[in-house]
Amino acid sequence: MRYTATVNDRTFTIDILPDGKLLVDGKPRDVDFLSLDNKTLYSLLVDNTSYEGLVEKVDGLYQVLLWGALYSVRVMDEREQRLAKSSAAFVPDDVEIVIRAPMPGLILSVPVEPGQAVEAGQTLVILESMKMENELKAPRAGRVHMVYVKAGDSVEQAKKLVSVI
Amino acid sequence: MPETTFIRKILIANRGEIAIRVIQACRELGIQTVALYSDVDRTSLHVRQADEAYHIGGARPSESYLVIDKVLDVARKSGADAIHPGYGFLAERADFAQACLDEGLVFIGPRPHSIAMMGDKLAARELMRKAGVPLIPGTRPGLTDDEILAAAQTEVGFPLMVKAAAGGGGKGIRIVERPEDLPGALASARREAEAAFGDGTVYLEKLIVGARHIEIQVLADAHGNTIHLGERECSIQRRHQKLVEESPSMFVDEDLRQRMGSVAVRAAQAVDYLNAGTVEFLVDKEKNFYFLEMNTRIQVEHPVTEMVTGVDMVKEQIRIARGRRMGPTQDSISMNGWAIECRINAEDPYNDFMPSVGRITANVAPTGPGVRLDSGIYDGYEVTPYYDSMLAKLVCWGETRGEAILRMRRALSEYRVMGVNTNIPFHQSLMDSHRFMAGSFDTSFVEERFEIEKEESDEQTELAAILATLVAHRDRQQAAQIVQRNARDVSNWKWFGRWERMQR
Repeated sequence: MRYTATVNDRTFTIDILPDGKLLVDGKPRDVDFLSLDNKTLYSLLVDNTSYEGLVEKVDGLYQVLLWGALYSVRVMDEREQRLAKSSAAFVPDDVEIVIRAPMPGLILSVPVEPGQAVEAGQTLVILESMKMENELKAPRAGRVHMVYVKAGDSVEQAKKLVSVI
Repeated sequence: MPETTFIRKILIANRGEIAIRVIQACRELGIQTVALYSDVDRTSLHVRQADEAYHIGGARPSESYLVIDKVLDVARKSGADAIHPGYGFLAERADFAQACLDEGLVFIGPRPHSIAMMGDKLAARELMRKAGVPLIPGTRPGLTDDEILAAAQTEVGFPLMVKAAAGGGGKGIRIVERPEDLPGALASARREAEAAFGDGTVYLEKLIVGARHIEIQVLADAHGNTIHLGERECSIQRRHQKLVEESPSMFVDEDLRQRMGSVAVRAAQAVDYLNAGTVEFLVDKEKNFYFLEMNTRIQVEHPVTEMVTGVDMVKEQIRIARGRRMGPTQDSISMNGWAIECRINAEDPYNDFMPSVGRITANVAPTGPGVRLDSGIYDGYEVTPYYDSMLAKLVCWGETRGEAILRMRRALSEYRVMGVNTNIPFHQSLMDSHRFMAGSFDTSFVEERFEIEKEESDEQTELAAILATLVAHRDRQQAAQIVQRNARDVSNWKWFGRWERMQR
């Protein structure tokens, strides 16, 4: 079975052979892999070097915690790669981006209005949560399409706040 | 001579790790504990660990932990004799301390009038001046421009800050390096303050360049004993929030320690202080120190002092509240080794320290020599947006600062929390920083000269890829396996376990 695993900007091709051997970018690695708690904790021996990590699937990505650092890994098999390749061409650059609440909280202010042009990094919403003011910023330049909330609103996690096109 | 007060049951007017810390002290002393909880805290650790627990209202602190009547009502219902306020919430409210006394309850903290005197920042400054405690040079608000210009040359000195009397949020603040720039800065600060607060009153304060934030722990009992337990270095801050504390401080020698300690004792005595408190100072490069404020409660960072002095601060608080003589004397206090505390917060260090909420899906705590973890979380615990983002405090002790840092690096790498983002990578990066190791930092270090490294080695990245792929592969095999589960004799969970078996 061939997989590609993408971490940050790096992509690895990983073959899992029928006898359990592993090829990482074509190089054979001797791997012993064990779930420790049937949940998130794994022990990994790679060429007899021992590692321990936590792995959890969140929103289709595998979150891997190693030595305190968190890695987001996208794992695709061959079928998924073909799908991704064929659909990639149809995603237009100017698709609408919806800014959602990353956590529940109180809207302190919405310093933009529909139709307004915004720069990448410009503050769209200020959300108060855990006694902190959190500025939610535009991921890219564009134009504000919809504003779904106003100052004083309490919002749940993942609530739509503002959209940018 | 004050008489001994009986305390058999303590109500803890707090939540999270500090409530658990107080419960631990009570357990050791054989005292019963009463916990309070809001709508979202039914499953919190302090409720699970206390002897009794009472629901007191909504998730927002203003509907529960901050409502004095509700807290006192539980004290009555439960028959508690004393209240421990922890830190935050009602801890520094003189009216709460007074209300406890009026109910005939022991307030485990200072006397109400001491809290009130230190709570009024301007009045406290005046009191401290009279007690001979050094203050940051400055002027009072409300002087004319001519008076301000004269004062700048004589009693304040440059560089200085022009600050709005009605200030807040950094508005109306001007930093002035040279005398000739002062008139212009005054005018613009007044304009900005007028626009922002409707009040153009300004004052001057000397700018302490390269300042460190160093505080002194004090303890006072009702028998007239007031002592200090050395310093804590708290210069590692971000947006005025402390992130790492240590004791002792590399910057403080024995002479400075004794000078700061005796000034802190004097400050406490000036407000008739009782119980545990902390006097905060700014210390400049020439080791001049200036009073900032006094925290009239137990501090978040008290464990580092406990680790180096061996004094259990919370038990001393209870002993003092019982009217007894405190355990340590000034002569018995010595600082042994070095302790460092990292505050583990639910925030994303790679995304502007954005708070993170959600269910904890894994919580593997570090253990071993010299490691202490004061934690309020467990596997399955829900981190809500209603309270402080601090989840736990990781404290490491070593014979030397170097050993403490190495232990902290080791403990951080053992600590695994999943389900929410934590600032553990920030701490790892800090512990690797040469400037931190050398002790050359001030309060602006984290914001101005520290960059969290997101430099992952190829080995780590590759390993993350391998691990994720193996888990993904197993997930797929499992999905296929479940369909045909009855066709197989081996139980599913044995089947999931080993790598070799997945290959059949």
